[in-house]
Amino acid sequence: MTRLPVRPPREQDFRSPLRDQRVTARLGLWLGIAFSVAFVTGVFSHFGQTTPGWFTYPTRPVSIYRVTQGLHVLSGTAAVPLLLVKLWSVYPKLFARLPPWPPSRAGLVNAVERISIGVLVASAVFELVTGLQNITHWYTWGFGFRGGHYAVAWLAIGSIGVHVAVKLPIIARALTTPVDAPVDMPVGERWAFPGAPDRSPAISRRGLLRAAYAAAGLVVLSTAGQTVSWLRDVSVFGVRSGDGPQGVPVNRSSVQAGVTKTARDPAWRLKLVNGSTTRQLSRAELAAMPQHTRSLPISCVEGWSAGATWTGVLVSDLVALVDAPPDSELNVSSLERSGAFSTSTLPPQFTADSDTLLALQLNGEPLDIEHGYPARIIAAARPGVLQTKWVSRLEVNA
Amino acid sequence: MTRGVLVGRAVFGLLGVPALAYGVLLVWQLGASQWVSLGEWLLGSVVGHDFVIAPILVGLGVLAAKVLPSYARMPVAVAVVVWGSITLAAIPVLGGFGASSSLPSLLNRPYVASWWIGTAIVVTAVVAVSLFRRRTR
Repeated sequence: MTRLPVRPPREQDFRSPLRDQRVTARLGLWLGIAFSVAFVTGVFSHFGQTTPGWFTYPTRPVSIYRVTQGLHVLSGTAAVPLLLVKLWSVYPKLFARLPPWPPSRAGLVNAVERISIGVLVASAVFELVTGLQNITHWYTWGFGFRGGHYAVAWLAIGSIGVHVAVKLPIIARALTTPVDAPVDMPVGERWAFPGAPDRSPAISRRGLLRAAYAAAGLVVLSTAGQTVSWLRDVSVFGVRSGDGPQGVPVNRSSVQAGVTKTARDPAWRLKLVNGSTTRQLSRAELAAMPQHTRSLPISCVEGWSAGATWTGVLVSDLVALVDAPPDSELNVSSLERSGAFSTSTLPPQFTADSDTLLALQLNGEPLDIEHGYPARIIAAARPGVLQTKWVSRLEVNA
Repeated sequence: MTRGVLVGRAVFGLLGVPALAYGVLLVWQLGASQWVSLGEWLLGSVVGHDFVIAPILVGLGVLAAKVLPSYARMPVAVAVVVWGSITLAAIPVLGGFGASSSLPSLLNRPYVASWWIGTAIVVTAVVAVSLFRRRTR
């Protein structure tokens, strides 16, 4: 029986042959893929909400945001077990000896590498923790989620790039060596970390990898039902069951938005504004216009989505009433007085699109107040937060 | 180093360094009012892993090696990796911290009951596999 050391641990104290660069590199490969998918889909989502001038957000395919944002959340979720096991496999490195002071050139390189790994661990864990909290509306931070999660995503993907560049010779060797081949090289040359190897690990390296991959698969299955409807029954940890008023989940309620009275007011009118030309339409007048029915998903930044059938007026028909061209940019205002998404901008390609409705009905019934009664915007392919509910005003942006 | 590795290093480095720099710029642009909280969360991420989660796992590993019979160690290790990481990822739904009475379609599943059922399944599987391994040793 060995006695536990009472001093701080050293790298050599960790003796499991599972902590091996072949394990680390394989998990790192899948983590790199998961973070890359989350990064690309995340940038796409960010551009959907804060569109740079050079970028035109697509109106097709209809389900593009449903797929990209579903992937964003699921790839981040899958990364949780992969990151935990990978960090476990390199944990002894945290206790590696610091270079002597004043440091040599090699010592400086070592110090820079440690700092870059600190940034990598901080930003990777930060992205997973804030993302998983945010999808359940658990806000415990003092920064704006979207700005913070986006900025740190660049830190994460950048430090992953630097880390791979630094480690590539080791990665290439580790990935081309069978994971369960015995280690018979001298200390310093071999894959595992220094120290006498533990002769009886609980599990083989291949077994540990399989457990990590199984965990990643199961954690995805346990949450994917919020966007893949046929997985609903197995997704016991999904943030939403998929139930909601008229069979569609809600992300911001009429109570939270403070519109419970104004949305039900019979005096509600939709104001259409194009410079000095204005029109006001009651809900009955809107319902008397040509109605169009579209099957379009509502897809939230939080990774859930639901298909639904919407009926209402084409937005391009509405802008024609105030003599504006169909490809006008519109400022959409909600009855909601505050909140980041009480207004939205409808880009020209969406105003002109034959799938962009001011919806009055959902799944064959008048819109529930939670879905934006008296009227809401629904367009193809856009993030749910921009599908403004309780619409009060559409103004052509000159 | 082979040519491929050298080229790969250059590509990853040339993509990574500007991305990292852009991230620093974005953090800078968030403004001083957000830096403190952002810094706390970044630092907390490292500390939370390196000095809380990781030592607990190391401790569990040392403990398992001491107290568990050899035939039980493999199933326990698999269970800790799989169920432990699923549990960590499920903390936000298990706690239900973001639930709101006005938003009944959010966090509307019996998460804690599901977790106990899952735990019972995992424990049963660990015991069954352990007993099987003891018999077939």
